[in-house]
Amino acid sequence: MNVLIVDDFSTMRKIIKNVLKQIGIESVIEAENGKMALELLKKEQIDLIISDWIMPEMTGIDFLKACKSEEQTKKIPFIMVTAEAQKGNIMEAIKSGVDNYIVKPFTPEKLQTAIEKAKERVGK
Amino acid sequence: MDVQYINPFIVAAQVVFKTMLGIDVGMGKPELKNTCVTSGEVTGIMGLAGDKKGTVAISFREKGAKYVYKTLIGDECETINQNVVDAVGEITNIISGQARKEFEKKGINLNAAIPMVIVGKQVEMNFITKLPIISLPFYFAINNGQPDEKEVIYIDFSFE
Repeated sequence: MNVLIVDDFSTMRKIIKNVLKQIGIESVIEAENGKMALELLKKEQIDLIISDWIMPEMTGIDFLKACKSEEQTKKIPFIMVTAEAQKGNIMEAIKSGVDNYIVKPFTPEKLQTAIEKAKERVGK
Repeated sequence: MDVQYINPFIVAAQVVFKTMLGIDVGMGKPELKNTCVTSGEVTGIMGLAGDKKGTVAISFREKGAKYVYKTLIGDECETINQNVVDAVGEITNIISGQARKEFEKKGINLNAAIPMVIVGKQVEMNFITKLPIISLPFYFAINNGQPDEKEVIYIDFSFE
């Protein structure tokens, strides 16, 4: 499984990479924002997207909308991993087509469950 | 300042440090700050707006910041470099998110921006509000909890 991690903070990308490693996922590509991630999606075969919400250049929610509106990317499971824990944010992400939503801080078990549920949701 | 503005930060600090770092933090005595300067040496600052406006600053001493980075990532850091700065920014972001979740339970909606990190002792900050700044110290043990190996994180904030 090839995972695209999108977060402007390198620390959080490292944390997510470490957590993925703990659950047996080692193939990871990183992007600092949605714009950079969209470019990578044109070149790479991605099986799962894990994205932050608040990022410069292109936010996670705009990146999510862009992914879900394109035929080539709409079936890729998309998990939002963010500090945005308010109901309004979660509802906006759900309306925009997010496949699962995790509020930071999170445990490896929580991420693993979210990955399984997101894959189920898109039928993978 | 109303005590209802303090509790969300206490809950947020305890939840974030326990979940992300496996650290139990104990709160010290809250104090009013007379000066608008950073309490520690590496400080994440975030403006909050919405039903209230204000600023929250999460400040680590150098040793504490390096310990937190090591615990989060697993790598040692000799100095306060970009990686440590980045980690403090992310911790600030996450604590702010948890606190905003707690505020929402009380019917107060707040939005946040991307955090900024300041490195340096007693650096001047602008807290936006004219109200007093409340400083909450949180203590945690490092190096297997030796009695003389306690570190402190300060959560300083002001809301109106």
